[in-house]
Amino acid sequence: MAVPREARLAALRGQIAALEAGTRTPSPVLAFGDPRIDSCFPAGGLPSGCWHEVMGAGLEDETSAAPAAFAALLTRPLLEAGAVVWIMRRTDLFAPGLAGFGFPTERLIQVKARDEAEVLSVLEDALSTVGVAAAIGEAQAPELKAGRRLQLACEKRGSFGVLLHRRPYGGPVGGARTVSGSSSFSRWRVAGAPSQPPPDVPGLGPPRWRVELERCRGGRSGAWILESSEAEHGPHPFRLVSQLADHDVAAAEPLRKAG
Amino acid sequence: MALGLRPGQKAADAMALVPDLFTTDHDPEADRAALEALSDWCVRFSPAVAIDGDDGLFLDITGTDHLWGGEAAMLADLLARLKRWGVPARAAVADTPGAAWALARFGARFGEDGEIAPPNGQCALLADLPVAALRLDEAATAQLPRLGLFRIAQLLGLPRAQLARRFGMHLTLRLDQALGAAGEALVFRRPASPWFDRLAFAEPISAPDDLARVVGDVTALICRRLETEGQGARRFEVVFHRLDGKAMPVRAGLARPGRDAKRLTRLLVPKLDVIDPGFGIEVVTVFAGDVEPLTAVQARLDAEAGTGLDETLAPLVDRLINRLGEDRVWRADPHESHVPERSVIRRAPMASPSGQTWDPERSRPVRLFKRPEAITAMAKLPDDPPVQFHWRGRPHRVRRAEGPERIGQEWWRGDFDDTGPGRIRDYYRVEDETGGRFWIFRQGLFGTGDEPKWWLHGLFG
Repeated sequence: MAVPREARLAALRGQIAALEAGTRTPSPVLAFGDPRIDSCFPAGGLPSGCWHEVMGAGLEDETSAAPAAFAALLTRPLLEAGAVVWIMRRTDLFAPGLAGFGFPTERLIQVKARDEAEVLSVLEDALSTVGVAAAIGEAQAPELKAGRRLQLACEKRGSFGVLLHRRPYGGPVGGARTVSGSSSFSRWRVAGAPSQPPPDVPGLGPPRWRVELERCRGGRSGAWILESSEAEHGPHPFRLVSQLADHDVAAAEPLRKAG
Repeated sequence: MALGLRPGQKAADAMALVPDLFTTDHDPEADRAALEALSDWCVRFSPAVAIDGDDGLFLDITGTDHLWGGEAAMLADLLARLKRWGVPARAAVADTPGAAWALARFGARFGEDGEIAPPNGQCALLADLPVAALRLDEAATAQLPRLGLFRIAQLLGLPRAQLARRFGMHLTLRLDQALGAAGEALVFRRPASPWFDRLAFAEPISAPDDLARVVGDVTALICRRLETEGQGARRFEVVFHRLDGKAMPVRAGLARPGRDAKRLTRLLVPKLDVIDPGFGIEVVTVFAGDVEPLTAVQARLDAEAGTGLDETLAPLVDRLINRLGEDRVWRADPHESHVPERSVIRRAPMASPSGQTWDPERSRPVRLFKRPEAITAMAKLPDDPPVQFHWRGRPHRVRRAEGPERIGQEWWRGDFDDTGPGRIRDYYRVEDETGGRFWIFRQGLFGTGDEPKWWLHGLFG
């Protein structure tokens, strides 16, 4: 019968989660506020104590503007207290732009690293420091071992790590780069989407992005169009505009295979 | 001297007196370099060493003689080492540099022991010295004996106003400096600091583990002293003195004054791989600079919760600054300027917050290019945003636009000829069909002669 099978699956999943967590207390999760997004994650949101990857599409692979805005908005609710460290190889991050998203730039420490290895090592150092709530690094393609070290560093202090994939300098756009396995919790791909201003208001509306969750550990993938939401409108930084139909997953159907 | 030679004698005369005399050309540069090397070597005795003329050194040994157990022991050690090195020297210890100079060069006893003037007692010892011991200029030194003034005691007996009128203020200044009534500024190779400590080894060390352990020991010494005085320091320098006299320093800086020996050791140990121990290190000295009062902070038992942001972030910031350099770790603060690239100023991350914010009404991009990139754009009317533009060879058709935001030039900063309507920028925030948002500006106005140019300055998220 379907119902006891669902209950048994849920119980099994709970057991696996408990085994994975071990003696650690459950970490607080960062929810998006909309069940259509939060249902993709096993815990109902992005847990802290893990790191996440954000990639851009097309030219964003090099300029990385939409991924940066996405990362800033994503970590905004975590930064009520605590510092954020942003490690980059190209120093073109413009703080007034981040301040426009409600990001606390007075607690932002920017670090310029010389090369990939330095980005990863400073990221690891920042994530394992008490007092750093989130750390964002811009690297090109971290390898599996480096990813595992980042995971360990995040778990040590329960901090939230974000890695923006960015090719630092020019090169062929759209070069195929297969990222096979990775120890990140989730992998996102962010691109800009046309905005819709409120009626009778000229100009641009609040910025929108086409956000795809490519993979998530223990969860489902999905694609949505998200709009940025002001800090005054609520604790969640994004507002779901629409869900994009994804041929792999039908949203209404209960899960039949192990998630 | 015993052979009848004296300085200033002609070489031919000297060779006549001593047939197998070894002569070389006078090389003042090599002499100077040697003197500087000697002054660096003397840092093991005191950090404040100043070069005096061509052949002398001043050492400020305030607060350092206790490490040898007294001034006499320190002087004896210094002279013994110099003798072992083959550097004939005379030395004297006194309250003021002037008195020390006089006693060292003209003191009654020279040879093995140096002269030590008791505190405030240099007047009696100086009285017997010739007037040349006062470091006067040549005219005065020649004139004073002609007037019958041979000894300093005679100068001390004369009324000061007459001396000043006859020989100038320089003479009275030198007298006062020698007796301690006037100050004298010496140019030290390193600033004088009482925060100094040293460790000497019976056997020279050279293994990297030993060097690291020694760094830990010596920083523990200086930090304990800082703690008893309630002070903390921002700059620490550990100098390794090799057997052959070379000194190799290793430095660490802190964002906030501190005295935690473990943290300092962790900052210093990665820098030890540039130290080449040579035949061995025999003395290690440490000094602390930028010393400020620091109150003790009791460490809480639950160190995770509730510690101030400063205490927890400061070690991270220190590690990053010491590893990467000060100019690569910063916090962006607002700066009063309309021009976007000048509206952000970089500050140290632990500096106190400025309290200003950027204008929330003006939207700014997340990425700002250091150099705006040239684009070709078409606009219908002079003040309209462009309808389409080409960037990096790709066309973008503009669907929505905001603007213009006129940002003028800061005419007070440039040449008068540089200002003009050609430097005014009209910024537009445009969105293309795919959703990319760009910050482009038109430089120059239509109708002023030069064709206005379009640039892309930044990208919104």
